Amino acid sequence: MRLFLEQCTNGLAVGSIYALIALGYTMVYGVLKLINFAHGDLFTYGAYLGMTLLGSLVLGKGVGTGAGLLLLAVMVMGSVAVIGVILERVAYRPVRGAPRLNAVVSALGASIFLQNGLMLAYGGSPRSYPDVLPQTALSVFGLQIPVVRIAVVLAAVAMMAVLYFFVQRTRLGAAIRATAIDPDAARLMGIDVNRIVMLVFVVGPALGGAAGLLVGLLYGSISFTMGWSYGMKAFTAAILGGIGNIPGAMLGGLLLGLVEALGAAYLSMAWRDAIAYGVLILILIVRPSGLLGERVADKV
Amino acid sequence: MSLPAGHGHASRRLLAVYAVAAALLASAPFVAGWFAEGRYWLDVLNNVGLYALLALSLNVILGDAGLFHMGHAAFYAVGAYTAAILNTQYQVPVLWTLPLCAAVAALFALAVARPVVHLRGDYLLIVTIGMGEIVRIALVNDVFGLTGGANGITGIDRPSLFGQRIAKPQAFFWLIWGFVALTVFLFHRLARSRFGRALNYLREDEVAAEGSGVPTARYRLMAFALGAAWAGMAGALFAGKARTISPESFNVGESVKIFAMVILGGAGSIPGVIAGAALLVGIEEGFRGFANARMLVVGVAMVVMMAFRPQGLFPVHLPRFRPADLPPPPEAARTEEPP
Amino acid sequence: MKNLVGVLSLALGLAAGPARAADTIKIGMIAPLTGAWASEGQEMKRNGELLAAELNAKGGLLGKQVELVVEDDGGDPRTASLAAQRLTSRGVVAVIGTYGSAVTEATQTIFDEEGIVQIANGSTAVRLTEKGLPLFFRTCPRDDEQGRVAAAVIQKSGAKRVALVHDSSAYSKGLADEINGILKSKGVTPVFFEALTPKEQDYSAILSKLRAATPDIVFFTGYYPEAGLLLKQKKQMGWNVPFVGGDAINNPDLVKLAGKEAAQGFRFLSPPVPKDLDTPEAKAYVAAYQKKYGEEPKSIYGVLAGDGFRVVARAIEATKSTDAKKLRAFLVGGLKDFPGYTGKIAFNAKGDRVGELYRVYMVDAAGRFVLQP
Repeated sequence: MRLFLEQCTNGLAVGSIYALIALGYTMVYGVLKLINFAHGDLFTYGAYLGMTLLGSLVLGKGVGTGAGLLLLAVMVMGSVAVIGVILERVAYRPVRGAPRLNAVVSALGASIFLQNGLMLAYGGSPRSYPDVLPQTALSVFGLQIPVVRIAVVLAAVAMMAVLYFFVQRTRLGAAIRATAIDPDAARLMGIDVNRIVMLVFVVGPALGGAAGLLVGLLYGSISFTMGWSYGMKAFTAAILGGIGNIPGAMLGGLLLGLVEALGAAYLSMAWRDAIAYGVLILILIVRPSGLLGERVADKV
Repeated sequence: MSLPAGHGHASRRLLAVYAVAAALLASAPFVAGWFAEGRYWLDVLNNVGLYALLALSLNVILGDAGLFHMGHAAFYAVGAYTAAILNTQYQVPVLWTLPLCAAVAALFALAVARPVVHLRGDYLLIVTIGMGEIVRIALVNDVFGLTGGANGITGIDRPSLFGQRIAKPQAFFWLIWGFVALTVFLFHRLARSRFGRALNYLREDEVAAEGSGVPTARYRLMAFALGAAWAGMAGALFAGKARTISPESFNVGESVKIFAMVILGGAGSIPGVIAGAALLVGIEEGFRGFANARMLVVGVAMVVMMAFRPQGLFPVHLPRFRPADLPPPPEAARTEEPP
Repeated sequence: MKNLVGVLSLALGLAAGPARAADTIKIGMIAPLTGAWASEGQEMKRNGELLAAELNAKGGLLGKQVELVVEDDGGDPRTASLAAQRLTSRGVVAVIGTYGSAVTEATQTIFDEEGIVQIANGSTAVRLTEKGLPLFFRTCPRDDEQGRVAAAVIQKSGAKRVALVHDSSAYSKGLADEINGILKSKGVTPVFFEALTPKEQDYSAILSKLRAATPDIVFFTGYYPEAGLLLKQKKQMGWNVPFVGGDAINNPDLVKLAGKEAAQGFRFLSPPVPKDLDTPEAKAYVAAYQKKYGEEPKSIYGVLAGDGFRVVARAIEATKSTDAKKLRAFLVGGLKDFPGYTGKIAFNAKGDRVGELYRVYMVDAAGRFVLQP
C-alpha cells in the first residue's frame, strides 16, 4: 500500500510537469494545427537557463526565499518565451501556407538546431542544480514525501490554475479559443490572428520553460536529451487529453504521470518509456480525439 | 501507352550522370591505395553507401508514397539484429541472412503499420517515432533473451562472398556499392511500374486515387513492407561491417538523420536521396571536430530549405505531357467533317 | 551528385596524403570525449598529451617523435566501433583505451583483427580478458577482485539483509553477479537484485521498491551519474540506509550531482585516487599535470591511461620495434615491476594487471573522497 501511495505522489509530480509542457503543445496545435517539435527543446532551455541563473552570484544568495524563486521563475519563463516568439517567426511563419511536410521538417530542423546549440553551450554531460529547496521529507499520513515533490506539484497546479482562469475568463483567452476553433471567423470578428499566434508562442514556451526549471529543482540533474523524452511524453499527454483542449492537456499530463509511475513500480521499470509510447499509439488508433476532445478526426 | 519522350530524355541525362558517377566511384578503391589516409576515406564512402541504401529504402515510404515515417531505424535494427542473431547463434553466414532479414523486417513492418496506416500526416509521424522508440527499448531490455541488452551483440562474422572474406574497406566498397547499384536499378524500374505510379498518385491525392481504384491501404502497407525489407538488408550489411551492434545505433537520432537525407536530397528522387546521404555523411565527416556545430548546420539547413526550396536539392522530375506526346488521331476521325 | 562525392573524396585524399608524412610513431587513444562520461575521457586525453609531450622532449621513441592520435568513442559501443575503425586506418601502432567495459568490448575485435595492441584503462569486466585475445591488456583491475573486496566490505558492516542494484551493462551486471556469487557462497542471500535503467532521472520507483524490501545495506554497481541521482533522491525521501558503490562511481562529479549532504557517508571501492598515490614519481607527475593544466588530475582512470601509454612506450623502446607480436611478448614476459604511477605494473598471460589495487573510500562532509584503512 505504501508503495502504491508513494508512487501516486511521484506520478502526480511528474505528471504535473508533463501537463505544463503538454499545454504548450496543445495551445500551439489548437491555433496553428501544427505540432511544435521544438517545444521539448524549449523546455530544456528553461532547465539550463535556470541552472545558469542559479549559478550566477546575483541570484544565488537570495534564492532560497519565496521571492527569490519567483523572480527566478519569471526570468526563466520570460527568456524562454522570447525564444518561442523568435522560433515562430523564423521556422513556422514562412511555411504557414505550405504543405504539412514542410512545416514538420522545419520544426524538426529548429529542434535539432536548438538541441545542438544547447550542447555546444553547455557540453554533453549531465549538469546539476544546487540544492535550493530543502532536501528533506515531510511525513504525511505515515508516508515520507519529499518536500521538493510537494513544492513542484503546488507550483505547477498554481500555474495551471492561472492559465485556466486566463483562457476561460478573459477576453484575450476567449480570442485564443476563438482562433483555435476557426481562424477565419476569428479574423472576421476583428481578432488579429497573428498577434494571437504570437501570444500562444509566448504562453506555451513560458510554461514549458517553467516546467524545465521545476525538473531541475525536483531531480537536481538535467541533461540535454531531456527535451526529447519529456517532449514525447508530454505530447502523448496532450493527445490523451484531446489535442487542442486545454483542460485536456492538464488532465492528460497528470494521468500519464500516474500511469507511468504505477507501471514502473508494478510492471517494470525498464519498460516505462515503452509503456508511455504504447499508450500514445493505442489512443491514436482507438480514440484519436482523446479523453476530452470533441472534434473527431479531420486529422485521421 | 508508353511514357512520353520528355520522360525518356530525363532518363538519358540521368543515365549519363550515373555512368560518370559509377566510373569515378569505381576508381576510388584504387586511388585510395595511393594515399596514407586513403583507407579512411574509402571507409567514409562505404558509410555513404550504407546510408544511401537506407535513404533509398525510406524514399519508397516517404518520397514515393508520401507517408510521414520517422521510425525507419527500427526496420534497420530488425534487419541488423536478425542477421546478428542468426550469425552468432546459428552460424548462418552473413550474406545468406539477407533474404531472411528482408523478410523479417517486412513482416515486422506489416505488423506494426497495419493498425496505423490510415493515420494522416503528423499523427503517423508521431506514431512511427513512438514505434521506433519501443523497438529500441525492447532491444535494450533484451526482449526474448536474444538481443543482448544494452551491450548488444558482438562477434558477428565478416561476410564472405565466393569464399572471399570481406573485411578490408576495399572489399566492403564493392559489396556495398554493388548493392546500391542494384537497388538504384530496381527502384527505377519500380518507379516506372504500375505500383510505383500508383504510390505517387496516392501521395498526391488519396481520395482521387481511391476513387480510381487504387487500393490505398494495401498499397501503403506494401510501401512500408518494401522500404522495411530494404532497410533490413542494409542492417545485415551493417552488422557484418561493424561486427558489434547495440541498440544505441538505432535510436531516434538515426531515424531523423535518414529522414533528413531524404527530405534535403529531394523526396521521391533516387539520385536526390543518394545526394542527401552523401551530403549528410559529408557534413559529419568534414566537421568531425565540431560535433555539435555540424548538427546545428543540419538543423539550419532543414529550416532554410523548407522556406526556400522545399522540393530538395535534386527534386523528382515528373514526366511532363505535351500535345506532341499524344498518339496521332486515327485516319477515320481526321477525314470526318465537324458537325 | 555521386560524381561530386567522388571528386571531393579524391581531392581530400590528395590533400591529406602528402600532409601526413609518416615520420612519427603514432599511438592511438580512444576515449569518451563526449557523452555521459566526458569528464573521464577528457582527463584521459590530457594525461596522454602530457606524457607524449614529456616523451618528445626527451627525444621521442626510436629516434622519432611520438604523435598521440585521439578518437572520441562517445561512451557508446557503436560510436566506439566507428572510432576504432578510424584509428586503425590512421596507422597507429598501439591504442590506449577505453573507459566502460561495454564500449571497450565493441572495439576489441576491431583492434585484434588489425593486429594492434590495445591497453584498456577503465574496463573491469572479467570477460574482456577471457576471450583469448593476445593483444589486449588492461592497466585497471578486474571485477573478480572488486567482487571480493565488495563482499568483504558488506560482511564487515554486519549487514544481514543486502540489496544489489545494477544497470544491466556488461560491467555493472558482471560485478553484481560476482558479489552475488561470493555472498551466497558465504551464506548470505541478497534480498533484492534488480536493475535500474541508466540515463534516466527519476529513480523514485526503484528506491521505493528498495525501501519496501528493508535492506540493511545497498550496493550499487553502476556508474556515477546514476549513483548521484540515487543518493540525492534517497535523501529527499528521508531514507537513511547506507549505500556502497563500485569503482565506476569514482568521479568528483558524484558529489555535484548528489549534493554534499546526500553524498556524505557514502562509500565506494576504487583503485587509489590520484591525490593518494604515494610514490615520489607519482607525486612529481601530479605536480607536472597541475602545472600544465591548472588543476590536479581528478580521475584515477586518466592516470591509468597515462600508465598504459608509458607501458607501451617502454615496450617499444625495449623491443626497438612497433611489431605487435614483439610488443606482446615483452609486455607479458619482460615487464616486471614497471614503476607505474598507479603502482607496480606487470601483466599476466591473459593481459590482466597483476596485483591488488582496490581500496575503500568514503565521502566526507566536505565532499572529499577519504581513503579508509
